[in-house]
Amino acid sequence: MMSEVVIENVTKKFGSVVALDHINLTIRPGEFFVLLGPSGSGKTTLLRIIAGLEDVTEGSIYINGKKVNDVPPKDRDVAMVFQNYALYPHFTVYDNIALPLKVRGLSKDSIAQRVKEIAVRLHIEDLLNKKPRQLSGGQQQRVALARALVRNPSIFLLDEPLSNLDAKLRVEARTFLKGLQRDLGVTTIYVTHDQSEAMALATRIAVLNKGVLKQVGDPYELYSRPGDIFTAGFIGSPAMNMIPGKIVKANGSWRFVASDFTLELNNMNFSSEREAIMGIRPEHIIISDDGIGCTISTVEPMGSVTYITVNVGGTSLTVQYTGLAKLEPNATIKIKFAMDKILFYDKGTGKLITE
Amino acid sequence: MKKIDVLLLALLIIFSIISLFPIYWIVITALKVNSEIFTTPPVFFPTKITLSNFYTPGERFGEVAQTAFGSFPWMINSAVVAVLSSLIGTFFIGAPAAYALTRYLKNVWLARTVLFMMMIPEAALVIPFYVMIMRMNLINTWWGLILVYLSFIAPLSTWLLMGFFSEIPRSVEEAASIDGLSAYKIFFRISLPMAMPGIIVSIIVNFINAWNEFLYALVLTYTPFPTGSQTVPLFLTDFIVIEKTFAWGGLAAAGVIVMIPSIIIGLYAQKYLVKGWTMGAVKE
Amino acid sequence: MNRRQATKIGLVFAAPLLIYFFVFFIYPIFLLFKYSFTNSYGAFSLNNFASMISDPILSYSLINTLYYYVGSVAIQFTGGFLAAIVLNSYSGRLKSVFRLILYVPLTVSPIVIALMWLIIFNPTYGPLDYILRSPINWFGSTALAMPTIIVANGWEYVPFVFLIIYAGLQAVPRQYYEAASIDGMNRWQMFRYITLPSIRPIMLIAFLLNSIGILQGFTLVYVLTNGGPGFSTYILSFYIYKVAFSYFNLHYASALSLLFIAIIGAFVYAVLKLTSVEKYLGLRRETEGGYG
Repeated sequence: MMSEVVIENVTKKFGSVVALDHINLTIRPGEFFVLLGPSGSGKTTLLRIIAGLEDVTEGSIYINGKKVNDVPPKDRDVAMVFQNYALYPHFTVYDNIALPLKVRGLSKDSIAQRVKEIAVRLHIEDLLNKKPRQLSGGQQQRVALARALVRNPSIFLLDEPLSNLDAKLRVEARTFLKGLQRDLGVTTIYVTHDQSEAMALATRIAVLNKGVLKQVGDPYELYSRPGDIFTAGFIGSPAMNMIPGKIVKANGSWRFVASDFTLELNNMNFSSEREAIMGIRPEHIIISDDGIGCTISTVEPMGSVTYITVNVGGTSLTVQYTGLAKLEPNATIKIKFAMDKILFYDKGTGKLITE
Repeated sequence: MKKIDVLLLALLIIFSIISLFPIYWIVITALKVNSEIFTTPPVFFPTKITLSNFYTPGERFGEVAQTAFGSFPWMINSAVVAVLSSLIGTFFIGAPAAYALTRYLKNVWLARTVLFMMMIPEAALVIPFYVMIMRMNLINTWWGLILVYLSFIAPLSTWLLMGFFSEIPRSVEEAASIDGLSAYKIFFRISLPMAMPGIIVSIIVNFINAWNEFLYALVLTYTPFPTGSQTVPLFLTDFIVIEKTFAWGGLAAAGVIVMIPSIIIGLYAQKYLVKGWTMGAVKE
Repeated sequence: MNRRQATKIGLVFAAPLLIYFFVFFIYPIFLLFKYSFTNSYGAFSLNNFASMISDPILSYSLINTLYYYVGSVAIQFTGGFLAAIVLNSYSGRLKSVFRLILYVPLTVSPIVIALMWLIIFNPTYGPLDYILRSPINWFGSTALAMPTIIVANGWEYVPFVFLIIYAGLQAVPRQYYEAASIDGMNRWQMFRYITLPSIRPIMLIAFLLNSIGILQGFTLVYVLTNGGPGFSTYILSFYIYKVAFSYFNLHYASALSLLFIAIIGAFVYAVLKLTSVEKYLGLRRETEGGYG
């Protein structure tokens, strides 16, 4: 069963600290929805509110059209995987997974059958008699997943489930999770601070910072047209380059004036002059024969691609280079910007200039 | 560097001698023959050993007095009272209260009240307790002592267990809540089992305190099992007062018999004890 | 789960403790007040409190109690602290053996301890006077009786302080010392700048628990000296007992009990206010709620 979750004007305060500020979101049935943001952004708080572990200061939560503000977690048909897995240490793996079913009064046989099914699906069928402390991190995580999924919940919540795994395991688990969610089709809400994880897993992402919802969209949208400067800087690795400057009109056409270069903005129209930040991703800066002259500061060869940094516009720009020439620090090069990929952000509001 | 180690070792040996000498002395006194007990200069290394002190009755102005082995009726009372009070205090009073104070009633005044309960001296409460127990007709009974012993067992076990419950990750209890358990079920099936080490600490510490308790037993009891509930410390005081000047061998033997169980339990418990006392302040 | 629901559940869990508290703490204290303010005919009277002021034995007991407390804390805290430091600094293989040995006195019943010291301190046959080569009557001398009690008490409780402080010392992360030695500190400086600050909370807890334990003392006095010789070992707890059960003056004894409670209350209040020990006991929450 897949559920829809609507978050209406939710604000959450802890004393005088505002953890969430008027959040409005709709999570569609069957989606893999990611709450993305740095620590302190409120993403985990929002997840816990959906689970019923915290209540709201203002606003409402609806599951499938029904208001659930006062409904306790056990009646919301949600399942949750915690960051530290929260397995019951004194129960065996079998008992850990069986507990939610036992509480709901299922017969011993149907419990056994369902536990076995889910254990096989998650490749932990040999571990059923062990205790959590005898398992590795990856195994514990799969037990946590099993315990959550054995109930066939209609909403599946995950709180940074991969952050305690080592890097290699993390990527494997990520792929596994994505496939699992696709097979089961359950509405999934996933919290992470890792933007590459969010991009890889999500149907849609909600970016949060300091309790405020910055943008909601699918990964492609967020990557190619981030609506504000925070999202622009947060999504994508290495981060988008930000060059401060001013948008001015000269002789009937617009140009962007930075500290050490001026860019002609043909084919672009703006409503007024203003201070702005120009955003351009490393892969959209090209090394060519003509363009802005600069000196290479650092060179980072990553194998398939090389990142170099140059000092332009008063800041350090990261440029992606996929050619074969060997670049050295202190060499002079010329760079050009892919004009259709440039984004401008208003310096005052931080929002994308869309005129 | 080496010189310091030698000095430290010397100090440690001195401390050890101070720690063990009295125990050594009482043990050998229990095993000595009378002629070697009452001599000057005192005998440090007995030449003859006897077990007669353990079963020979001492003199009491002509009457037959207690023997060391005669301590058993008192031991039974001590055992019953100590076991029951530590179990009841820990499971029925301390654990749920500690859980409440850690998870639901995080009020600093409540916590201070628990501390306050622990600090009130026995001597101050002995009078009202005496009156109350007398009115309830529980003088010289097990329950008379148990109810009164709970006055120090209840707050102590609450305090000890608060530290242990606060170490249980909230997320495990939240997972149980999401899995469908009610708050009470979470306590019994998840939190309490997870706090088991703390429960053991509490039972052991309180058992020892109840076993050694003196003032309340002195005031509230007057005969041993089966007629009354006098506990072991009173057996020994009888001994001491009566036999002070005569049967030191028997006296020492009685002391040894009483000492052995508590040393054994104490040694077994020692690693748990420190964990309990320093919970929270020391990160292990 | 909102606040009200949480409070209700909390009260259900805490009910046994709360019930016990009201029946066996509040009510007894109420009884103490009741008896303190009445005389033996049941009439309201302030005589008990008046008597306190003019009672020479009471003043003597209070002074003795102070003497007893200060002496005991001095010996127990210093001894325990010293022992903990010494064992912690020692780096031989017998470390755990010594810890066990130093711990043993704590396991012995106070009565048995009284017994032991009775035999050891005996002027005629005891080993102590033999070693000192002078037959001193420890328990029979007004000047020496109290110090003897203090020493006997110390023997049992030094291990208590030792255990707690030792655990605190062991818990100081080794990296601090390693970083310090790389920075060039010698052992003295490490002790002063790393060890001492790290064990401050533990020392406060040990001091508080130790003090409470000492002030409870009764057994040794009752068994070894019975308050004597004269009144030299009358401490407040013993005096209360005497007044109640030897002189059968429950009313005056109740007033004294209230005094005792007041003194201890003031002492603990002072300690809590002057130090931040409450924080270390986990009693004071610095922040409220969870986040993020």
